[in-house]
Amino acid sequence: MKHMPNNDAHQQARKLIALSGAEILSANQLSDQQSSNAWLAAHLETCASCRTFAENAADTIHGLRAIPIAAGRGLVSTTQIRVRRRALELQRQRERMWLVAVSCTAVTLCALLSTVAFWLGFAWLGARAQLASSVWQVGFLVFCVMPALVAAILLLAKAKDKDKDKDNDNDNYKHLAHHTGSYQG
Amino acid sequence: MNAAAFYFESSMAQESTEIARGLRRRDPDLLDRLIEQYQHRLLRYLVYLTGRRDLAEDLFQETWIRVLERGHQFNDKYAFSTWLFSVARNLAIDHMRRKQPSSLDGLVDNNMQNNEDRAPFDVPDAAGASAFDLTLQREQGEQITAGMQHLPAEYREALVLRFQEGMSLEEIASVARVPLGTVKSRIYRGLSALEPWLKGAQL
Repeated sequence: MKHMPNNDAHQQARKLIALSGAEILSANQLSDQQSSNAWLAAHLETCASCRTFAENAADTIHGLRAIPIAAGRGLVSTTQIRVRRRALELQRQRERMWLVAVSCTAVTLCALLSTVAFWLGFAWLGARAQLASSVWQVGFLVFCVMPALVAAILLLAKAKDKDKDKDNDNDNYKHLAHHTGSYQG
Repeated sequence: MNAAAFYFESSMAQESTEIARGLRRRDPDLLDRLIEQYQHRLLRYLVYLTGRRDLAEDLFQETWIRVLERGHQFNDKYAFSTWLFSVARNLAIDHMRRKQPSSLDGLVDNNMQNNEDRAPFDVPDAAGASAFDLTLQREQGEQITAGMQHLPAEYREALVLRFQEGMSLEEIASVARVPLGTVKSRIYRGLSALEPWLKGAQL
């Protein structure tokens, strides 16, 4: 470090000052055990411009530390309330999710158990009625699909009724319009 | 000396572990305590990062909400403050991206640069000092504040974390997610850029 060119030495010294902060700038705190610090101390003794830089840096750092920015009581309490409210929301959300997960598990288990039970029931009935296995298996399939089929048919029928009502309403409006037209005329 | 350092480190590690455990449980009492404990440091960091007090206060609240939601991501191997400042920094960057697609550079508010009379940082009077000291301190504070406003956000951030928060260079690198060399250069350049402003105060 002692044999570096002059410009490099100044830059190195300034970097060391900046990185060490204000502490390094008081001579009695410089530790001779650290070679860079000792080198810096020696450099500062001979270089006036770096010494000025060090003094300015120390003033800047002290100035930075002296600027107090405090959070207001209102900000803190508002934040605490918001955080507590959000924590409550998250807890409720977690509870809801837990409930949904439990319900899904219960439904899946019930579906599995009932499918097995009905399969066995249909097999028993088929055997009692001396039916071919393909017959009671088709019966089981229809039984399984039946609820979905019935629901689909009902929904279709409802939709058709709605369309019919709409058509009737349109006819009534047309009829009314026709009548109003005749009164106006 | 070594025993004291060991005791200090182990108590810090224990504190981090307790915080991590509480955050995983989303313990509201712990969060209340943390908000109280870090209120000034976090707000100061955000004010310097954004250059606007109102925005800093909004981000302050959002940061704690994020801490609550992502608390399980906190690794107790690191100091809580480092993680907290990272969360705040990411929120500030997200905010600027929503406003205009840019990096941390966007945090230098153009309005603020055009209006030098409007100081976003409060410089209250210090108690217990002479009138001369107070005036000098106030002028110095105002000059540094003005100088900080003209620095790029990256330099401001590095200076605040280093000299106000007393973070190590490694911790700053972790918060800013940049190499150690970049942190060193930002501190050096930031401090050098502030020098003319301080000279102005001393004239």
